[in-house]
Amino acid sequence: MLSSTTAAASGKSSDLLSSRSIKHVVVLGANGAMGLGSGALFTTAVPRVTFLARTKEKADGGLAAAVKMVRSSTVGSRVDTGSYDDDFDRVVAEADLIFEAVTEQLDLKQQFFDRIDKVRRPDSIVATVTSGLSINQLAEGRSESFRKNFLGLHFFNPPNVIVGTELVAGKDTDPKLVDFIDAYCTRLLGRAMVRTADTAGFAGNRVGFKLLNECAILAEEHGPLLIDELVGPYTGRALTPLATVDLVGWDIHRAIVDNIYELAPDEAHETLKLPGYMADLMAKGVLGRKTGGGFFGKDDAGGQIVLDPKTQNYVAKASISRPDLSFIDEISNLHRVGRYVDGMRAFAEATGPYAAIAQKVIAGYISYSFNRVGEVTDDISGIDRIMGYGFNWAPPSVLVDTIGLKRTIQMIEKAGLAVPPALANAQEGTTFFDDPQVNVGKFFVAA
Amino acid sequence: MAQIPEVYVLGGYQTDFARNWSKEKKHFVAMMREAVLGALEETHIEPSEIEVAHTGNFAGELYSKQGHLGAFFLEIDPAFSGIPTARHEAACASGSIALLAAAAEIEAHRYDLACVVGVEQMKTVGPGEGGDFLGTAAWYELEAKGIEFPFPKLFGKLGDEYDKRYGIKDEHLAEISTINYANGKLNPNAQTRTWYMNYDHAMSRDEFNGSIGGRIHISDCSQVTDGAAALLVASPEYAKKWAERVGVPLESIPRIKGWGHNTARILFEDKIAESANSEYILPHVRSTVTSAQKRAGIADTGGIDAIETHDCFTTSEYMAIDHFALTAPGESWKAIEEGVIALGGSTPINPSGGLIGAGHPVGATGVRQVLDCHKQVAGTAGDYQVEGAKNVQTLNIGGSGTTSVSFVIGT
Repeated sequence: MLSSTTAAASGKSSDLLSSRSIKHVVVLGANGAMGLGSGALFTTAVPRVTFLARTKEKADGGLAAAVKMVRSSTVGSRVDTGSYDDDFDRVVAEADLIFEAVTEQLDLKQQFFDRIDKVRRPDSIVATVTSGLSINQLAEGRSESFRKNFLGLHFFNPPNVIVGTELVAGKDTDPKLVDFIDAYCTRLLGRAMVRTADTAGFAGNRVGFKLLNECAILAEEHGPLLIDELVGPYTGRALTPLATVDLVGWDIHRAIVDNIYELAPDEAHETLKLPGYMADLMAKGVLGRKTGGGFFGKDDAGGQIVLDPKTQNYVAKASISRPDLSFIDEISNLHRVGRYVDGMRAFAEATGPYAAIAQKVIAGYISYSFNRVGEVTDDISGIDRIMGYGFNWAPPSVLVDTIGLKRTIQMIEKAGLAVPPALANAQEGTTFFDDPQVNVGKFFVAA
Repeated sequence: MAQIPEVYVLGGYQTDFARNWSKEKKHFVAMMREAVLGALEETHIEPSEIEVAHTGNFAGELYSKQGHLGAFFLEIDPAFSGIPTARHEAACASGSIALLAAAAEIEAHRYDLACVVGVEQMKTVGPGEGGDFLGTAAWYELEAKGIEFPFPKLFGKLGDEYDKRYGIKDEHLAEISTINYANGKLNPNAQTRTWYMNYDHAMSRDEFNGSIGGRIHISDCSQVTDGAAALLVASPEYAKKWAERVGVPLESIPRIKGWGHNTARILFEDKIAESANSEYILPHVRSTVTSAQKRAGIADTGGIDAIETHDCFTTSEYMAIDHFALTAPGESWKAIEEGVIALGGSTPINPSGGLIGAGHPVGATGVRQVLDCHKQVAGTAGDYQVEGAKNVQTLNIGGSGTTSVSFVIGT
């Protein structure tokens, strides 16, 4: 069964670690952000890492970017580069771990796996960094030894900064390999590992993009600026939701929510449907920050502008008036002096239409997370870990503990959502968050 | 020197030194609050039991335009209303001075339970301005005014003095840096735990590891850090009751077994002139180390199981090695080469990662060091535990070797 505990970090890990040896890693797609970032990370523990790309020049470019990313030229002394045409068969045959980070397309990845399967050693590990494609589907048609040694290893971008990592086994993956990779990544790469089921979006993107897409839907009526303030830093995140969508890119957002919408119909199905205005604007080339703007952008004079989803035009940020959001100011002031419990209780008790919107989104995040237990992770701590270590959002359990169980239940009921049994059946005073190494205060950012 | 009256260290808490509290848009009182409430939770002590509070802070006036940090203790919990508080400042030794004050009051039977909190919020300003603020720990007008990053340059001169008297190699300084970063990776509160570092990088001299003060390169420096650490210290009477309450034998509770405290002249060149005929480059630092050991009834560093020292720069740890007499004066490199100071060595230095690996929130550092000693002695240091540690010693230094404080924490 799945286990999202830190067991691998405890004493028995030394036996596990000696069960295999990783001396040479080959990174496929080493010119992309995830490939080169992961490649740089591997050089902290592995003496030889080979960066492969379509051309050697592209792989060299990936290495140069990796050096800049971790700010150390010593990356270069552990990395060699090559191309798929000239070097693939030789280096893949030599590798202990083949790390696939090519474009997120099922058929393309399958072509690479077909080629890997032909030349790899039977004992080598094959890992994919996919953020949502099915591990079982990716492994279809591969040899038995490939399937046994294949798993998903989902680092978050940039991997040298964000330690949260999802580990996804396929149905044929050797359980001993899963334990080894868990221990290896924890001990040697400093990762915070979370084991998830092979479900759409795994754990982090399933829960995270549900909230992001809900905010995009709400922005149609209320505007992106107001929604980003309502579900802003004071609710337990450093970066506001729609600014996050602009940063990751609308195309990536769409791929993730479409995948979940199609494959995992659940109680929040409608909140995972991409809003029509986003599809319209994407057809016109709007993809977020990488195309110069999305929900937020800048005009030719450098002034800040905000999308009006109703007209699909942009308006000056300065022209948008801020309604009375004094409840946010009050909570922010409490966060600023470290009174997070007082702040989040004030949040749960705030009144008025705007507070109700924010409470509904946060109540939805909590209930959706608790409802995913047993489906995407074994326990809530797995979802807590990936939301904290991967998204840098207040994990759902932290919100329950901070708001208080009774108030949380009332908030969920007020939002018209079903109360997850784990909350409904708990005793008042139960503490849900169980990771003493995390300063929970860091999630509650003042405005 | 007679053994000192007993002062027990019941436990404490530090904030995650990787946090940037300016990015979180927080006031430093939030940091004090998390540290103190964390310490209370850790020790199962109620806020109302604290009788006196001492705050260590270097430069709140500069970083946050706020003085009077003792008074901010009352903002943590309503139960603190009316209790006596004070703020203590001795540059990077501020935290240790706050603990010395608390311990003295307990020794004098004025109070039975004191809270000591060290705090510094440094990321409110950029590196240049912050470097200038740190210059006030030296004689600002003579050693820092108008100089970019004065402290790396002063501790570069410490390396130069070693070079002149005994010889010193960059390779050994790079090894000190590598060990501290490696230890920091084992410490869940260390600022640099996810940073990219290895020996080759510490030896590299390109744009990613430039010189910022003579022989001092980026990898030789401690960090600019936001952080707070808190300790609860108690009289034997309180400790006895507390031991019963939490169900531990009194003898298992770490105590301050010895302390040392000396001050040298503030100008670095005056210190060097004064030590011209001494085998130690900073003889007052040596006195601090030995007086703490004597008060603890420990003959020499052979009786110390691990050290948390003030590695504001690799040269300061290089100095600490021979000033602890782990080697003869000038031969610190031997202890590095022989693996004495590494985790697993005979006298590990900075299992926490120290100021280079764990971080250096100036006013909190002395308190954080004693907290780490407590963890070692109590066996709660997790992945950076020194097996079987019974006596662990700190060395905390303000200025260019000016104010030195050392504690021996043990059972």
